[in-house]
Amino acid sequence: MARRFEDAEEGDELPTRELFIAKDQVRAYARAANQWAPRFTDDEGARREGLPGMITPGNMSMGLLTTLIEAWAGPGVLRRLGTTFRGLVLPGRTIRLCGTVTQKDERTRTVELDVWLESDEGERLVIGTATVALA
Amino acid sequence: MPLEIDPAILGQEFDHTRYGPVTAEELIAFARALGETRPEYTEPGPSLVGHPTFCVRYKGDRFYPESIPKTINVRTGFDAGKDIQLGVPVRPGDTIDVRSTLHEVYEKTGRTGSMYFVVIRFTMTNQRGEMVAVVDNRFMHR
Amino acid sequence: MILDLHLHSELSDDSRAPVEAYLKLLQRKRAERPLDGIVLTEHRQFDPGRDYRALEDRYGFLVLTAAEVETDYGHVLVYGVNEDILARFDFRNVRLPAQELIGEVARLGGIALPCHPGRPTVGLCAHYETKPPLHGVVAVEAINGGSRKGEDERVEELIRRYGYQAYGGSDSHLVSFVGICATEFEAEIRSIEDLVRELKGGRYRPVDFRPRRLAA
Repeated sequence: MARRFEDAEEGDELPTRELFIAKDQVRAYARAANQWAPRFTDDEGARREGLPGMITPGNMSMGLLTTLIEAWAGPGVLRRLGTTFRGLVLPGRTIRLCGTVTQKDERTRTVELDVWLESDEGERLVIGTATVALA
Repeated sequence: MPLEIDPAILGQEFDHTRYGPVTAEELIAFARALGETRPEYTEPGPSLVGHPTFCVRYKGDRFYPESIPKTINVRTGFDAGKDIQLGVPVRPGDTIDVRSTLHEVYEKTGRTGSMYFVVIRFTMTNQRGEMVAVVDNRFMHR
Repeated sequence: MILDLHLHSELSDDSRAPVEAYLKLLQRKRAERPLDGIVLTEHRQFDPGRDYRALEDRYGFLVLTAAEVETDYGHVLVYGVNEDILARFDFRNVRLPAQELIGEVARLGGIALPCHPGRPTVGLCAHYETKPPLHGVVAVEAINGGSRKGEDERVEELIRRYGYQAYGGSDSHLVSFVGICATEFEAEIRSIEDLVRELKGGRYRPVDFRPRRLAA
């Protein structure tokens, strides 16, 4: 069930989700997303590309941010999601998914969100905005 | 070295690839890999739809057009970000047509040095001609 | 008077923040981030035609415009951009000559200040390891809202060694982070001319409004 437009206010913070990204989960995503490549599946293979170890695909970070959005807004309401991958998201660590409501559009009954993925040290590794159509 | 782009190559379709039919297993595996538990994403049946970001699975057979400046080393690069406009969800049995265009090329400097950014747009429609997604992919190359 | 001297609107290629949304947030967060205005520093561009007076009137904040350009010594913020400066330098060039930029911008009525100097590759600290220091640098960005661990600390040594003034900016590319770092001026500022004068004068300091766990 989608969140009602009247129940969202500019400035509202989405409940932060903290989760541990396991390497096996990254491998499962890489396989399911047709991104099976050393940089996403194998530490040694990733190092040969100059990386510190295997990394989380940016697409996976987008998917995780979508789960944050849908946990707050309900399923099927995402209309647009734009992201910038600013830093490597290394698996085997805890990350936080965060978001805030920045604008409401009365005419379209949509809200704009800032969303971001940060490391456990607070570095914003993925930033983005989303447009969500509320009920 | 400064980038020279022929404006005529921007917006030209350089690839058209078709995928499918999409299977329920593919949709479910993708959603579960994201930790999803919602039944509409993870349980087989008439209500099953693809996770909103399932569309990132698709790309053209040719990633870049022949006309991309040779200054850019297309063999090495990193995903710098995406902008996705979402249409109808993907369902089991769908075929997905992906049309690729070169949207933008520019240069900037960042933490890892001087980089070229190439934006490839994938426009995705299903067998009914409905818009599934428009995905602008930004790739960075040294 | 407190201004965020470094942030990007949706005009910058990697930002997604409408200017109006920035001002609405500052209105809501007055208690935590008591800013009087912002200075938009778009990447590699400057449009003299941009006019934010209607937003200034509606929300009660000063909105000025500047630019963030890319040089052979890293990124630099250019305040007081005018037609002469735009004729002299192509802001789309990612290899502008920093020494020439700093000198000429000052001569032509503006001021060019290195930003995020502690950042790898695009910060002054990295370039000073292998190249002679620049002449005419008045101030550097001592705190930047996008800094990673250790980057702002590196700047402290730079400031001590060369006697630079210090300023602060959020480097925000999202609405939510406007004003988390800023600069407090002793004098009132009402125009870009006032800002350039005060930046040259040195009566300001960086201020940090980040939540404690994020502050360097």
